[in-house]
Amino acid sequence: MHHIGKGGRPDKESDEALIARIRAGDKKAFTALIKRYEETVYRFSFKVCRDPVKAEEAMQDTFINVFRKLDSFDGKSKFSTWLYTIVTNNCRMKHRQTRARAAEESLDELMDPSFTREGKMAHEIAQWDDTPEDRMMGKELREVLERSIARLPEDYRLVFVLRDIDGNSTEETASIMGITEEATKSRLRRARAFLREQLDPYMAGDGRRRA
Amino acid sequence: MKCRDAYLHICDNLDEQIDSPRCREIKAHLKACPDCKAFLTTLKKTVGLYRTMPQPKLPRGAHSRLVHALATEEKKGGARSGPNSKS
Repeated sequence: MHHIGKGGRPDKESDEALIARIRAGDKKAFTALIKRYEETVYRFSFKVCRDPVKAEEAMQDTFINVFRKLDSFDGKSKFSTWLYTIVTNNCRMKHRQTRARAAEESLDELMDPSFTREGKMAHEIAQWDDTPEDRMMGKELREVLERSIARLPEDYRLVFVLRDIDGNSTEETASIMGITEEATKSRLRRARAFLREQLDPYMAGDGRRRA
Repeated sequence: MKCRDAYLHICDNLDEQIDSPRCREIKAHLKACPDCKAFLTTLKKTVGLYRTMPQPKLPRGAHSRLVHALATEEKKGGARSGPNSKS
């Protein structure tokens, strides 16, 4: 079974069993649920909000929502998918309340890369010098990654974090976002291409060598 | 096979082992097109970099503040046994 992020404990009591205990009035079960997921919810919120205060607020709001609404969880989806839906909505709400959009691309819809009329790549694509494994994640690179993902419009950032970083399936990501699988794939494709483009000047270096 | 078709497909299947006739066509295109090959390689590296970024840690005191917030919520509503409930 896929637990949310790395915080899940597939070898321990299942989420379903834990939720059944909460519903039966077990006082300790809700604490266990928090301990199981608080780190992952915080990390997800941080990766989307890019701010520790907002991330903690989104985490608190998420568990308050879980506290209030757990009886409405019908078990048709995994608990983790339901939880991701709540935290995603809270991150969206935080985003609307702040001026976080200022750092983002003004375009609501990101575009695919440019192609010629014949369908060929419009620009030469350079290889990058190092593989991620070769390169130490230094401060400079981390800042480039931070700046780039902060520029991604929020709906694209959410899809990228849900699918590519946190490992939800396309189907789960679509359900969490409330969009179709086709729209999920399209946003993911454009988010990846956008981030690649942002990192390109840093990663390709001056040499801009070909494959 | 055009670069545009390859782009649409390789992005949907970044992590998959693909072996359909369509995918064999794409592999052939990637072999012959240095731009698409570089695009795919650098796209994979982009995702890899974000996956290996250091994870943010839960701030000190965040758990206690969460428990406190839930206890306050419980006092307001009392609908469920929260983490601070007395047995």
